[in-house]
Amino acid sequence: MIGEATAQRVLGAALATGGDFAEIFLEDTETRAIAMLDGKVETAAYRRRCGAGVRVLLGEQCAYAYTAGIGEAALIDTARAAAAILAGKSGTASQPFGPKRVPPVDIARPFSSVGNAERIALLSRGTAAAKAVSPEVSRVTANYADVDQRVCICNSRGLWAGDRRPRTRLSFDAIASSGGEYQTGGERPALGMGFEAYERIDPEAAGKQAAQTAVTMLHAPNCPAGMLPVVIDGGFGGVILHEACVHSLEATAVAKGNSEFCGKLGQQIASAKVTAIDDGTLAGEWGSLRVDDEGEPTRRNVLIQDGVLQTYLVDILGGRIMGRPVTGSARRESYCYAPTSRMTNTFFAPGTDDEEEMIATMGEGLFAKRMGGGSVNPLTGEFNFAVLEGYWVKAGKIVTPVRGASLVGRGADVLQKIDRIGRHMWMGYGMCGSKSGSVPTNVGQPRIRVSSMTIGGKGENL
Amino acid sequence: MDDRAFCERAFALALKQGCEAAEMVLREAQSFSVGVLQGEIDTYSVSRERSLGLRVQRNGKDGYAATEVPENPEQLVRAALDNAISIQSEDGNPMAGPAAYPPVPTPADALKDMDAAGKIALCRALEKAALGADARVRRTAACKVITEQSRVRLRNTLGLNALREDAFSACYVAPIVVGQAGEAQEGGAFRARGEAADIEACAREAVEEALGQLGAAPVPPGLYRILLRNDAAYSLLAAFSGLFSADAAQKGLSLLAGKEGQRIAAACVNLRDDALAALNPRPFDDEGVPAQNKAVVREGVLVTLLHSLKTAQKAGVRSTGNAGRAGGAGGPVGVRPSNFFICPGEAPFDQLLQALGDGLLITELSGLHAGVNAISGEFSLSAKGFWVRGGKMGPPVKQIVLSGSFLALLQGIQAVGNDTRYSMPSGACFGSPSLLLGELRVAGAGKNA
Repeated sequence: MIGEATAQRVLGAALATGGDFAEIFLEDTETRAIAMLDGKVETAAYRRRCGAGVRVLLGEQCAYAYTAGIGEAALIDTARAAAAILAGKSGTASQPFGPKRVPPVDIARPFSSVGNAERIALLSRGTAAAKAVSPEVSRVTANYADVDQRVCICNSRGLWAGDRRPRTRLSFDAIASSGGEYQTGGERPALGMGFEAYERIDPEAAGKQAAQTAVTMLHAPNCPAGMLPVVIDGGFGGVILHEACVHSLEATAVAKGNSEFCGKLGQQIASAKVTAIDDGTLAGEWGSLRVDDEGEPTRRNVLIQDGVLQTYLVDILGGRIMGRPVTGSARRESYCYAPTSRMTNTFFAPGTDDEEEMIATMGEGLFAKRMGGGSVNPLTGEFNFAVLEGYWVKAGKIVTPVRGASLVGRGADVLQKIDRIGRHMWMGYGMCGSKSGSVPTNVGQPRIRVSSMTIGGKGENL
Repeated sequence: MDDRAFCERAFALALKQGCEAAEMVLREAQSFSVGVLQGEIDTYSVSRERSLGLRVQRNGKDGYAATEVPENPEQLVRAALDNAISIQSEDGNPMAGPAAYPPVPTPADALKDMDAAGKIALCRALEKAALGADARVRRTAACKVITEQSRVRLRNTLGLNALREDAFSACYVAPIVVGQAGEAQEGGAFRARGEAADIEACAREAVEEALGQLGAAPVPPGLYRILLRNDAAYSLLAAFSGLFSADAAQKGLSLLAGKEGQRIAAACVNLRDDALAALNPRPFDDEGVPAQNKAVVREGVLVTLLHSLKTAQKAGVRSTGNAGRAGGAGGPVGVRPSNFFICPGEAPFDQLLQALGDGLLITELSGLHAGVNAISGEFSLSAKGFWVRGGKMGPPVKQIVLSGSFLALLQGIQAVGNDTRYSMPSGACFGSPSLLLGELRVAGAGKNA
């Protein structure tokens, strides 16, 4: 995307006002998206994004400029625009580039070699499977997306890194209706690989799952409100770890003192049953990347070991402020964002508890089988998230599905209240929005139990 | 290749390859943003964006392709054509020809002639105002000044050639206050466009918001009468605005499908979509259809849904000028609100508090991207606010969940305030006065007194 000599000229322009670190991030990304409604393709779109961001640091100050296009003139202008704000005397010169860090990427079927007919076939198969679940399934929307992101990162310390990040996702949303009432269910499998992903992703299973949730919820009463035990199933249930805890471990929050977990390294912040990991290296996963958006190799970061906080997620700028090494966690949605510390694939490690026992001994409460998204304020740790498919439990037995539940709490509180962690861990797929934009992330966990949480819902007691 | 030449080449190629029509949207934008922390520049960002989005029509079907590097028109046309021939829906896809546009007022912009140094000084002053507003303010989580200029040119083979320009500016501050026992709370407030330099008012509001939450506690679960403050009301309206899309209705994805002419809200509710509103005007929508100011709900009755050319043709009505293209310039044409707001009533806020008597004032709803189900119309949202007893504001409340159904909420509105507030006036903008609701279910870990 860029020659070494050009890169050095751009870095030179970026450092001209005395910055002590400069970085170029170049991106060339192709995206294809197809939307289907009830078995017929409604829209199909292609998009190519190509541009660059130049970042200059001076101590803890960060100047960032970005531009569409990656011609040298535009890059030099962009570097100057970022540098313009700084007035430093670091005297830093850009180092010659060292060995290039461009890990090999094995893509069996690049998206550019795949015709729309194959993409549409996936949507049709999942839609048919969803429709077959019940005559109550009134609508099925299906979406396909693939993204092929190529990045090149070079900086004034002589780093030169590149990565190619193919990703693809299928989404099925089913609506079940009767008597003027609508309920929904959704399933969105995703992987970080080429079109060969669909040797692993089963569109029929996804469509069927979406429809089953919608039909189940159509016949479910509203969830009652209460303060009770909650069992959260594995997979996307791991969104609780993502929201309730790990956002508050990102340097974005911690470096400025805006996290409830500031100053807690080495301390017991969770129940001793809890081990939590963020691992960006998992081959082919939706949240994985070989090098992060600062050019650092990704790694397996154990965040919490047996309840004790081990590390934060740290990017270069956060690391400067915190005095800590980077963790391969820098990410950004695109060249339009400066990078910051983010999650990749984040999950609770498997425990030793029996999945059935934790429901059988919970008394009355909620079994949250399928979770939706959520959000958190890291300063206070207060989080919330939606339950897409819930079941009410009485005397340790599931009595009925319930709809419209949501859960709120404080991260530090809920981590201490985890009293069961199951043996079998799996992951779900999401998009995470924060300071540096929206990035693909996996969340995961085995089935867990929280001894008490605030459950919201508009139903009467069951 | 310059944009004009690229566009003409792409049009010629598309027509030669059997397309009936083609359209290009060129979007250019520049932005500036500065963040200050403890008097120092903390973040600084400037940008120059440009994208070209092509839409081609072949056999009545639309295909889309967009790029940020206008180098290869052949490739872009091929990608768009591949997409057009993949479409299976039988819906027609009308395209707009030239039209006369209403004169649009230039919105006020307090930062219009301010240079970078001026904006940085303003940002520093905003932080200082927030830090100085109360001894309990420790720092800010964010303190920013942003400006943006954008130009959108829409051109097609039917002769449309329209230009839309906008300049936007805003300041934002999020102070962190620390109360007794080290309890931290964060507030936030913004001022935009004509008010973007009103830093004292912005800082004061943000600090008051944060201080008001000190000592907040959950309430016991139960049914509560609710007063929804204006800003919480517009965020809920925004989250459910998709219900008013004719596109969603025609696809069977909206509870308002077929409800035109029927009562969907209490008689005190008037809802408008006004693309010409002075706070955030635009002359035309993303299809080049002239901007309009129209009643969506009049005295509780649904007057119209929001239409693009495509949904209007399908319904046999005229477009309401609500076409919106997702993903910057390049995404498919859909439907989106312009400036979408509940019209003010007559009651001052204090009168609404009096009318509420005993209940909860809700000042903030969070998790709206997840806790709202636009299809079922149901919501279950984390909320903050205050106890209200005997018409007087009481202690602050947090970590509660407010649950209900949006259409039932609209039907149950008992009074509409005169205190309209708007969301950040850029793109789709939402507004509402405070709304006095009926009873809603609230969950919380509070103990009964």
